[in-house]
Amino acid sequence: MALSPWPFVRLKLRLMVNGMRGRPARIVLFVLGAVMAGFFAISGYAIFAIPGVVGDARAAGMLLQLGGSLLVVGWLVLPLIFFGIDESLDPARFALFPLPRRTLITGMFAAALAGLPALSTLAATAGMVNTVAALGGAGAALIQVVGILGGLFLCVAASRAVTSAFATGLRSRRSRDLAVVMFAVLAALLGPLQLALLAGAERADWGAFAVLADVLGWTPLGAPYSLGLEVAEGRLWAVPLKLLIVLTTLAGLLRWWSATLESAMVGSVSESRGGDRDVASPTGLLLGRRLPRSRFGALVARETRYWWRETRRRAALITFTVAGIFLPVSISLSGGSAGPMAVFVGAIAAIALANQFGYEGNAYAANVTAAVPGRVEIHSRATAHAFFVLPLLLLVAVVVGAVTGRPERIAGDLGLLIATYGAGLGLVLPLSVRAAYALPESTSPFAVSSGGGAAKGLLTFGVMIGTLLATVPLQILAWTLGDVWLWIGLPAGAAFGCAAYLIGSGVAGDWLDRRMPEVLAAVTAGR
Amino acid sequence: MTVPAPREGDQGAALSLRGLVKRFDTKLAVSEVSLEVPAGSFYGLLGPNGAGKTTTLSMAVGLLRPDAGHAVLLGHDVWADPAAAKARLGVLPDGVRLFDRLTGPELLAYHGLLRGMDAATVDQRARELLDVLELGTGNCTLVVDYSAGMRKKIGLACALLHAPRLLVLDEPFEAVDPVSAARIREILQRYVSGGGTVIFSSHVMEVVERLCSHVAILSDGVLRRHGTLDEVRDGSSLEEVFVRVVGGRVSTGSELAWL
Repeated sequence: MALSPWPFVRLKLRLMVNGMRGRPARIVLFVLGAVMAGFFAISGYAIFAIPGVVGDARAAGMLLQLGGSLLVVGWLVLPLIFFGIDESLDPARFALFPLPRRTLITGMFAAALAGLPALSTLAATAGMVNTVAALGGAGAALIQVVGILGGLFLCVAASRAVTSAFATGLRSRRSRDLAVVMFAVLAALLGPLQLALLAGAERADWGAFAVLADVLGWTPLGAPYSLGLEVAEGRLWAVPLKLLIVLTTLAGLLRWWSATLESAMVGSVSESRGGDRDVASPTGLLLGRRLPRSRFGALVARETRYWWRETRRRAALITFTVAGIFLPVSISLSGGSAGPMAVFVGAIAAIALANQFGYEGNAYAANVTAAVPGRVEIHSRATAHAFFVLPLLLLVAVVVGAVTGRPERIAGDLGLLIATYGAGLGLVLPLSVRAAYALPESTSPFAVSSGGGAAKGLLTFGVMIGTLLATVPLQILAWTLGDVWLWIGLPAGAAFGCAAYLIGSGVAGDWLDRRMPEVLAAVTAGR
Repeated sequence: MTVPAPREGDQGAALSLRGLVKRFDTKLAVSEVSLEVPAGSFYGLLGPNGAGKTTTLSMAVGLLRPDAGHAVLLGHDVWADPAAAKARLGVLPDGVRLFDRLTGPELLAYHGLLRGMDAATVDQRARELLDVLELGTGNCTLVVDYSAGMRKKIGLACALLHAPRLLVLDEPFEAVDPVSAARIREILQRYVSGGGTVIFSSHVMEVVERLCSHVAILSDGVLRRHGTLDEVRDGSSLEEVFVRVVGGRVSTGSELAWL
């Protein structure tokens, strides 16, 4: 059997062309992709070429090493999100062919290189050659050409190895759930990260960045892209060392890929966790030790499990935690007042319940057939949510108090937080009964149904504003009372929150008693 | 497992539907369905896909509000006195997701406690049901990871747990393997002989013919035939009656002659 990788490249191109035949939408997508790749290539080239044009060696060091590392990380992470787009590279499709693994690896590697992402990455990094040529002459440029090729190989090998490792993994529900949560964390971190970066940039501590860049230059992430720079700066001894780093990493990645390929091709049955163990008491399993052996206890237990086991809810909890802590902290770090800001946190927490019946869809039928009274249903759901939220609110209050250096305000802030959370619940719970809507039956927490759902989602904004208005008196009180609030803040806030919650939950419970079938119909997808 | 003993006052109709109507947008899904299900009967509700079986049963058990008509369960109006009616009812809804992020034992415990049973009884019955239905008493797999047949079985277990007087099952034999189907049939037959009432929907004639004492045929939201199995069959096979009533093509022998 020939060891040529060309059949794989041709197969991939053929699949790409055939995929577009007679499908205008796909052609448009491809053209869009090409335009974006072109844009990425040109802008990347321009950015990487700038330090050479202005002749700034320090900027070159930072930009090439940081930018290069970012590229490698991008290649690592992006295929996981868009896994399955590139059909020809799904190793499972080659399972029936009598191919030596070596042939398969070289072929698939070559095929991966023959694509828009690889081409545009190469074009973008070519800007680095420009920069290095301007700083260090032709010799350095030549070495940098080797560097960017090595970098590209590294990118492709890394992404292939990772997708191959995840190929079997991502097909099981459990790991998909996990991946979804990871991305929720990433997405939630984007905002705070941006703020942190901006804050860092404002202080213009370029020294720290330079050190970071140089450190990255000695890791596989930045090593290939700093080869030419080392020549330009006369550290010739560093070139073979960095080359060694690149080649070793590349070899390691290819070996890993080769090892995981087999299992990715065969696929494996996802094993069930835990397995069988004899359980004496199903109710004990459901309720744990603390919860009452009653209808209310069962409802609360089921809800708490759902907040943790259901991806959409878990993603909501994680997003809230990250936003709830970083938002007030970053505001207070940049000099703003944390108190009113923290109040947003309470409102955001309550909004997670705005479509509480939508989360589990028509499984709610079980509660309807069991004729669960409306108030019991509402109280149990709020209780389960509070299990998670109240400790978080305490954490927010403590963190904000510690960061702003005013620990004496923790109790008062917590009072305000609880008041807002209670007021938010008071508004959100009736809304969740009147304006429940079906979520698509998808595992992704980012999937939102189109049409009516979006319009109802807008109502939640109304709730946020309503919550803020409802707590304005308390805010003013806290502000005018000053030091007195430090003492009465917690009990006053808790009382206010409880009162608001009791009113709202009572209304919601009564409405639910009358509208159970309507709520069920509203959250049933496809009606 | 424990078979519920017949109680006083359960005589007569276990389920009585009176003029049920449901309209989705412009489509009349169920039109004036009236049906008496005698206590102690094994009632089969037959109909082609889209006939309105699920809609009718949903209205009967209080999951879907009818546009007109009444549903009376063991003497309690489902829509006027839902708590009393639902307490005597076990439901296996079709196409309804269970709370599938719980494990099998957890789901059973949830259903039992929701019905107001005490924990000891729930534990005992849940273990017995898991054992009889071969779901494993200590199975820690989430229901979402169950196979289709196992889901049906855990759904059935949830419906049986509180020993209801009336069981309403929507397509209980769909996607269930033959061995489990036989086990489910056996359980249901024992339940009926112990005085319980079962009404279930299906479009598999053999199952209905084998199990049921009474049959109703529904098509396009209209009740076409109902009565005891023999009344409905009227000498021919149930399949012939069904095809005739529903209005399927009857082979003349001349089409596809080239075959």
